[in-house]
Amino acid sequence: MSPLTLYQLVALIMLLAGLFGISQRKTLVGMLISVELMLNGAGLSIVAAAQLTPANAMLGQLGTLFVMGLAAAEATLVLAIIVVIARRFGTTKSSAVSTLKG
Amino acid sequence: MEQLAQIAFGVYTLIILCGSVLAVSAKSLVRAMVGLIATLLGVAGMYMLLNSTFLALMQILIYVGAVSVLIFFAIMLTRADAGGEEAASAPLRQNVLALLAVTVVGGVLSWLILTRPVVSSGVPVEVSIEKLGLGLLGPYGLAFELISVVLLVSMAGAVLLAWERRIGK
Repeated sequence: MSPLTLYQLVALIMLLAGLFGISQRKTLVGMLISVELMLNGAGLSIVAAAQLTPANAMLGQLGTLFVMGLAAAEATLVLAIIVVIARRFGTTKSSAVSTLKG
Repeated sequence: MEQLAQIAFGVYTLIILCGSVLAVSAKSLVRAMVGLIATLLGVAGMYMLLNSTFLALMQILIYVGAVSVLIFFAIMLTRADAGGEEAASAPLRQNVLALLAVTVVGGVLSWLILTRPVVSSGVPVEVSIEKLGLGLLGPYGLAFELISVVLLVSMAGAVLLAWERRIGK
């Protein structure tokens, strides 16, 4: 097995763990943790592909850096949304948040 | 040296595996966060093995330093105590469906990875930090500026969302 394949299998493990978590967790915070797991797997896959093949290595590293920045922005917003939901519904269970208001 | 790298790869893979299993299966959200942090540190080690030291340090600084503290704040602010809302195990149907999704996606992707190997070298290329900085200011300057705008907007949006209106309501 080539080194790139090994790295991509590790990234795949992280993606699958995140996918399992996001479909099985009951609270919004648990789902947020799973999303971070999946984003990190994607970053690992990008860097491995850029560093071990003749592709543009600088682009790969900078792309992963941007993914990290977006993950930080996403975590900030989700934190605010979770706080609002906890204040309004008294719980962060995803099944409880089921009313819409126009 | 070759063997040392293989041992390090195995250790990091083990850390990532145990960490991600803990992160998605722990009953208490704080323990799940500990699993997530272990996974992030394992990925930082992988970045070191891939000869991208700068990314490994950024991983520790941004993810372990900032994002996990944010999620800890989310856990504290929502009062999800240790034996909290994740304590009751999920219904069987949900577990079966989640496993089905994981099996399908994992099967397709691992089949793709294993049957279509890409020619790759075992020695990662070296990109100096200087080149990364020049890239951020040169050809990828627009993306760099846009990500700062995105961060600013998300910060302002978070403040606006979480703001408690005292007057009026």
